[in-house]
Amino acid sequence: MYDFKFHNPDSLAAALESCSQAEDGQFMAGGQTMIPVMKQRLSMPSDVIDLGSVEDLKGISVADGVVSIGAMTTHALVAADGDVQRAIPVLAALAGGIGDPHVRNRGTLGGSIANNDPAADYPAALLALGANVHTDRRQIAADDFFTGMFETALEEGELAIRVDFPVPKAAGYAKFGNPASRYAMVGVFVSQGSDGVRVAVTGAAPCVFRISEMEKALSNNFSPAAIKDMTVPAADLNNDIHASAEYRAHLIGVMAARAVGDAILREGAA
Amino acid sequence: MSVPEIGQSLPRTEDERFLTGQGNYIDDINLDGQAHAVVVRSTHAHARINAIDVAQALALDGVLLVVTPDDWKKEGFGPMPTKTAIRKGKNDMDLAEPPRHCLAMDKVRYVGEPVALVVAETAAIAIEAAELVDIDYVSLDVVVDPKKALIDGAPQLWDDIANNLCLDFELGDAAATQAAFDKADHVVTLEVFNNRVTAVPIEPRGAVASYSPETDSYLLYNATQNVHANRDTFAESVLGIEKEKLHHIAPDVGGGFGVKNGAYPEPPLILYASKRLGRAVKWINTRSESFVGDTHGRGQDSTVELALNKDGKFIALRTTTIGAIGAFCWTVGPFTPTGGSARTQGGPYGFEAMYYQAKAVFTNTHPMDPYRGAGRPEGSFQIERVVEKAARELGFDPVELRRLNLIPRDALPLKTPMGLDVDCGDFPEVFERTLKLSDRAGFDARLAASREKRLRRGFAIAPYLECTGGGPKEFAGVTFVENGTVDLAVGSQSTGMGHETAMPQILAANLGLPFDDIRYHQADTDKTPIGGGHGGSRNLEVGGSAVLQAAGEVIEKGKVLAAHIFETTPEKITFEDGAFAEPGTNHSMTMREIIDASFDPLTLPDGMEPGGLNVGSTFERGIISVPNGCHAAEVEVDPETGKINIDGYWVVDDFGTIINPMLADGQVMGGVAQGIGQALMEEAYYEEDTGQLVTGSLIDYALPRADDIPNMVLAFYEDAPTAKNPLGVKGAGEAGCCGAPPAVVNAVLDALKDYGIENISMPLTPEKVWRAIHAKG
Ligand SMILES: Cc1cc2nc3c(=O)[nH]c(=O)nc-3n(C[C@H](O)[C@H](O)[C@H](O)COP(=O)(O)OP(=O)(O)OC[C@H]3O[C@@H](n4cnc5c(N)ncnc54)[C@H](O)[C@@H]3O)c2cc1C
Repeated sequence: MYDFKFHNPDSLAAALESCSQAEDGQFMAGGQTMIPVMKQRLSMPSDVIDLGSVEDLKGISVADGVVSIGAMTTHALVAADGDVQRAIPVLAALAGGIGDPHVRNRGTLGGSIANNDPAADYPAALLALGANVHTDRRQIAADDFFTGMFETALEEGELAIRVDFPVPKAAGYAKFGNPASRYAMVGVFVSQGSDGVRVAVTGAAPCVFRISEMEKALSNNFSPAAIKDMTVPAADLNNDIHASAEYRAHLIGVMAARAVGDAILREGAA
Repeated sequence: MSVPEIGQSLPRTEDERFLTGQGNYIDDINLDGQAHAVVVRSTHAHARINAIDVAQALALDGVLLVVTPDDWKKEGFGPMPTKTAIRKGKNDMDLAEPPRHCLAMDKVRYVGEPVALVVAETAAIAIEAAELVDIDYVSLDVVVDPKKALIDGAPQLWDDIANNLCLDFELGDAAATQAAFDKADHVVTLEVFNNRVTAVPIEPRGAVASYSPETDSYLLYNATQNVHANRDTFAESVLGIEKEKLHHIAPDVGGGFGVKNGAYPEPPLILYASKRLGRAVKWINTRSESFVGDTHGRGQDSTVELALNKDGKFIALRTTTIGAIGAFCWTVGPFTPTGGSARTQGGPYGFEAMYYQAKAVFTNTHPMDPYRGAGRPEGSFQIERVVEKAARELGFDPVELRRLNLIPRDALPLKTPMGLDVDCGDFPEVFERTLKLSDRAGFDARLAASREKRLRRGFAIAPYLECTGGGPKEFAGVTFVENGTVDLAVGSQSTGMGHETAMPQILAANLGLPFDDIRYHQADTDKTPIGGGHGGSRNLEVGGSAVLQAAGEVIEKGKVLAAHIFETTPEKITFEDGAFAEPGTNHSMTMREIIDASFDPLTLPDGMEPGGLNVGSTFERGIISVPNGCHAAEVEVDPETGKINIDGYWVVDDFGTIINPMLADGQVMGGVAQGIGQALMEEAYYEEDTGQLVTGSLIDYALPRADDIPNMVLAFYEDAPTAKNPLGVKGAGEAGCCGAPPAVVNAVLDALKDYGIENISMPLTPEKVWRAIHAKG
């Protein structure tokens, strides 16, 4: 790790201030990605601004058909939250399926989406649920937020404050874990909401994406059968030692059908 | 606590220390004034070193020293020799052994090879400085596949070693085997690939060294599995000093699995640095360094040919292997694909003739050394895979075909065509017990339930034959302390297996003393004159036998003392239930009373000093023992994704006498877990063109987790204690790795039999399974 200055602000204003004054400041959530990357000497921020004491960034509320989750809320808290479990049960389940208990106790929603790992789970949820990211300066729709591999619409020094998830009629998620890392090798999130059906895929490509063809088919008939035999071209998908693009393309079909099944099952149970 | 018994599941006395953070591991050791070292490792798989510029590194504040290959040349330090027992090949060919120095001399030959050592005031400064060491490389062509390395025109690792061939090995009777094949009704041939894996012990390697100018001697703490042999290599071969000048200690070691057996370059480097600086030096590997800087295992390509009669009787087996050994001969690296894989060829089945040949080949990869089983798991996988194929291809029931060919009990003792001395056991009985345990009767119902979920279900049974013993000699010293403690020091070594429990258990049970009286010592060259460390499942066989022998000597001395006190002769004294007595009299003293008396100068006979019951006993084993057993697995496969779930797992092992069933269970479970890892997930994967290790972290190296490992039903067959050692034990440490890969892989292929899939190479990743199902090559 290279040397850096450490800040531990206790308010949103102080955090933003520290960052704006730093030469190359970086916010730190749970440090689950940031610290390993720094230890491998792949990044060298001049200043690290720990968000751990900024209470405004934590917490969960559910009102008016919207689940609102603070950026600094850990995966473990989302997974265990009764309100989330009732409003969008699959969102709690998704959070509970991230990494291991250590990771879930430190890793955060804000850190996950700001990092935009191509294999992370949350980006699929945001995109499929049509969520909105609120920052210190604006509101960004999920469709515009995830812009590329490890890239987002966040600007230099822009801080994600919370994410608002509209409560869908039904939603399901199916994740095929990478055997080594257990991140998503392919994860498909399907939701049926007020503005129609959305299907978002993570793990398969450099960045989370939607499949409009499946969305159309599912809008007419929300059942696994509706997307049976529907294929996704392998050309733009990831290809690595764990899975070829061709296999990922195949898994998208399988996981999409299972996600629809999951959504139907959860709706039935509700 | 009371006197323990042999066969009792005494809980592990070391666990409280380990589980409450009280273990004393290498990184817990800090010496006064210590500096910190970091190794600069090669980023190239094959390159000439043009120049090493250390100026910038040395200029950094807090940097004390940069050790380079030039220092090594100037000092005239020697290479670390291989100690493989196999040194001759076909036509009297000698093993080709290039010099293995602690730093790369002129050329690097694998990614991760040490090129320099930076020593600084803190570890952070040393890391910083290591980055500033500027190495000018000229890259050379790379070869990582041993089959390609053998071809004319392939990149050459060593100028004087043609075609990268280290050794062309053979064992068995080629002519008799050919004759048997000629008369066979069927020949079944299979290409078997044994994937390269690495052990990933939970504790990375590390060491702390210091030098004393007063005595001109060194102290080395090292996370190793073998303090004596490695002391000899470091002192005599590398530094050129007498071995007595190096005191070598291994503190608690967090897992080894063979990967910590051998001599690594870092300890001599920090020994040298500590003398030059006049300061203690500490070095601790990171997890990332462990991937590129620890030895790997397996990595064999074999062609296995099985000759059968028309009734299914096996008559001959011929195996031809190409085994990568990496860029150098490591401590015993060339042994694994040659002698190591040869001895248990054919498993527990009867054969008229067998022939094994193997080429050990240099490649631009990290050198290989033993990994749990070191060749026997490879042999076991080869025979079980080809037998499964034979059953399928020739229309035999796989269970029946195995039953037909298992060596019957009354054929023992025998010598296999590979020269292995099989003295006792009952292979058919172990096989039948495994079948019974695995509930064959319930299979159809389970199959139907799987079908319901659109899953395939399969079963396989895999008997195995092992051979264990490792280093043949071991020392046990028993020292009685006046306060009542008994010090037991043994030269074998635990890296977590529970010796601190099992070894005192043997001593206490035999002397009739409470377990808690005994303090266990290991892995210290000053505490035992010799020591074979860890390896080859040797501890109970050799170390445990040394303890038993030492206990016997203590009892003999006790009889002399008791006779003196009872005013009779030692032959008249008996020792039973922890007491010395003279039958026919009311004379009786417990072991504890005799020990106390041994410290009273007034009660001692002539020639016995106070504390005179102490013994130091060296045991030497005879022929290696032959553990055996049988695994069975039931799996479910999701044909849509290729994902495998192991739904049932059963094992019956013949380890002879079981000293502590709980510890033996632990050995089996751990071995099975590593076997499942190899079968389904693990592979140390080098990129073909660059020789870069792609699986260089746990993000990409798929190590099994608790939920990848099924519940196991374990049982022991205890009716065949071996006469090869006085405890009657057969090594338990590596057996799990022998049975699990074939059981799991064959069960998967059974589940997929409707698809006509003949082979899937390990690891059976979901994609490979999916491709096989959908015939996507
Ligand atoms: C072993 C392991 C397994 C994992 N498995 C999974 C998995 O299965 N699925 C999955 O989805 N994820 C997984 N993760 C990722 C994990 O869930 C975290 O979400 C992720 O590592 C981010 O961690 P963090 O929240 O601590 O953020 P940090 O590491 O602290 O920060 C990550 C990045 O986000 C920026 N950042 C943080 N907060 C904000 C904010 N409020 N506004 C703007 N920028 C911000 C930081 O500056 C940094 O660039 C795993 C991680 C580990 C270590």
